[in-house]
Amino acid sequence: MPEIKVQNGNMAAATGAALCRPDVIAAYPITPQTPVVEYLTQFKADGEIESTMSEVESELSAMSVVTGASLAGSRTFTATASQGLALMYEPYFRASTLRLPIVMAVVNREMISPQTLWGGPQDALCVRDAGWIQIYVEDNQEILDTIILAFRLAEDKGVLLPVNVCYDGFYLSHMSERVEVPDQASVDAFLPHYVPEHIKLDPVRPMSVDPLTNGYLLTEYRLRHTQGHQRALKLIDELDAEFANQFGRSYGGLVEEYCNTDSDAVLVTMGSMTGVAREAVDLARARGRKIGLLKLRAVRPFPGARVVKAIAGRKAFGVVDRSVSFGWGTGITFREIRSAMYGEGSNIPAVPMIGGLGGEDVTIEHMMLAIDCIYQAVESGLSNETVWLNKEIDIM
Amino acid sequence: MNIYEKLAMQEEMISPGISACVGCNVELTIRTVMRVLGPNTILAIPPGCMGGVGVVGWDKKSGSKTPVFFPLLDNVASMLAGIKLHYEHIGQKVNVVAFAGDGASADAGLQCLSGAAERGDKILYICYDNEGYMNTGYQRSGTTTKGAWTSTTPVSRQGCGGKKQDKKDFPMIMAMHDIPYMATCNPAFIKDMVDKVEKAMAVEDGLAFLYVYNPCLTGWGIQSDKSIESARAAVDSNFAPLYEVINGTFKLNYQPKETIPVKNFVSYCKKFSHLNDLEIENLQQQTDSKWHRLQMLCEMG
Repeated sequence: MPEIKVQNGNMAAATGAALCRPDVIAAYPITPQTPVVEYLTQFKADGEIESTMSEVESELSAMSVVTGASLAGSRTFTATASQGLALMYEPYFRASTLRLPIVMAVVNREMISPQTLWGGPQDALCVRDAGWIQIYVEDNQEILDTIILAFRLAEDKGVLLPVNVCYDGFYLSHMSERVEVPDQASVDAFLPHYVPEHIKLDPVRPMSVDPLTNGYLLTEYRLRHTQGHQRALKLIDELDAEFANQFGRSYGGLVEEYCNTDSDAVLVTMGSMTGVAREAVDLARARGRKIGLLKLRAVRPFPGARVVKAIAGRKAFGVVDRSVSFGWGTGITFREIRSAMYGEGSNIPAVPMIGGLGGEDVTIEHMMLAIDCIYQAVESGLSNETVWLNKEIDIM
Repeated sequence: MNIYEKLAMQEEMISPGISACVGCNVELTIRTVMRVLGPNTILAIPPGCMGGVGVVGWDKKSGSKTPVFFPLLDNVASMLAGIKLHYEHIGQKVNVVAFAGDGASADAGLQCLSGAAERGDKILYICYDNEGYMNTGYQRSGTTTKGAWTSTTPVSRQGCGGKKQDKKDFPMIMAMHDIPYMATCNPAFIKDMVDKVEKAMAVEDGLAFLYVYNPCLTGWGIQSDKSIESARAAVDSNFAPLYEVINGTFKLNYQPKETIPVKNFVSYCKKFSHLNDLEIENLQQQTDSKWHRLQMLCEMG
């Protein structure tokens, strides 16, 4: 039987990971991820998990230990944030190009400078092209459920890619919510034992991993890697349905839509700010605006077709990003969504908006402003310059 | 049965076709240690000479009969620690071994190695010290001897230059981690090396570390037929002494019958040819002082 608990996001992540019975866990503490490491080591001390733990000296080693363990055949889990993810970059890239089904929670935190500790997905979004699957979630239940789903996805023989489950620092990591914790037997039924076939360092079957490789063969690696992402594009939706069937909870798969069937404009969000966006959509609709909401969950693989389906035919769309694409001057996912829309016969006005940087609150006022900006574009038929939401409201 | 008969009976694990320089004593070292380690071994070869010459392989061909892989330059010990944790988790005994140069061990990879040593990860880490980034054309490293010419510590037309800083005392740094086993080796002392690999393999309560001093013929400018002779001179001059540290106890493994001057060792190497008498005397004094310290540590028992 599932158990109802009150858990913060980090406890939900640790609980989800524990239910997946990883063989090896290695992690290094960094705010706001630190409690994940503490919870897992406590689980181990209390005999609640059988995983082998390694308390490494850095994130570089955290990713390297789980990479080594995964190469030898273990199911592995780790978690990090921000500067820790940056320090991991070298083995991070390597884990995906070796097709190792590692699952890593990223407790999204801004990148310095200036010195900051607070939430924002700039950390993980900046490495979206390093070959991992990245899924961004909205609440603590979704953290736990998505970690279970992530192992199924990562270990699928047609995917074999590492997965990041990304959640906002502090807003989720340190906030407590009702979380339904599934029982072990039902997780075991959903997630079978991991048996590596494609790669394994084992004296019984000697294998050379990563000999010096010429471009013609490396091209083949990259092509197959992209095919793994294509397979994941289908599987994320399929697994969401299977998960819903077994556990009674669905998150829409690659994206989730809200009030979007009859909409004439679409607001796009990602992560924890989606909660306030739902409220704003309800409020705007009560005032007669037929706004719809699109929550982006998968950033890699990018759900182009589903994004287009959710936006095409409307009069405008706007994206609230908690990140900056330097050089473009917009948020990061805005560029991705706009790229997806190009060539789909739907050249509608697009409004880039940035809010909540460095963990600043994205309030109902910010979201109402975002919706206003989208309707300005509906009326003018023109795309906007980037709107900096916190600057507009909090400073003016 | 002498050491050569014994080694001859053990299986050659490294491909005959690897492309090391003529006379390379690192190739001799890896062939020797891998004969001792045998097939129940997982081998990590980070970027460096042995990776470059093809021990991990080229395209679809492997250079080793054992499982072998390229770790990153700076995460050798951590990747191996992960592999070992897997095999400990499933209760299977496997030698999990690094064969890494000084750059991957004493410079870029030092943090990972130090962490693994402190945690007691049960891996065997072999560092071959050829005093620089040889695979990229001989740039200085933290273990390059003071005064040595390298491509990044050049010597001027007037004959001045070379590395300005002292060599990092890497085996001593590893010994001070209080690991169960630390030993220094040399390709001119094969029996000693084989004994130490066997001892390192038997360690079950932490990290075992072997340091091999490997004069590099190509990088240092040593004649290819002087490979072993120059390596022996490093030991006979007390410049690179053979010792081991077992659970904190220092033991000298070889005392030269007649200690030769450091000048005799440096004269094998073109990289020292610009050094004046004073600079060579400084190397001699430092060698004497380190030798004295080592003797005192050994006397402590």
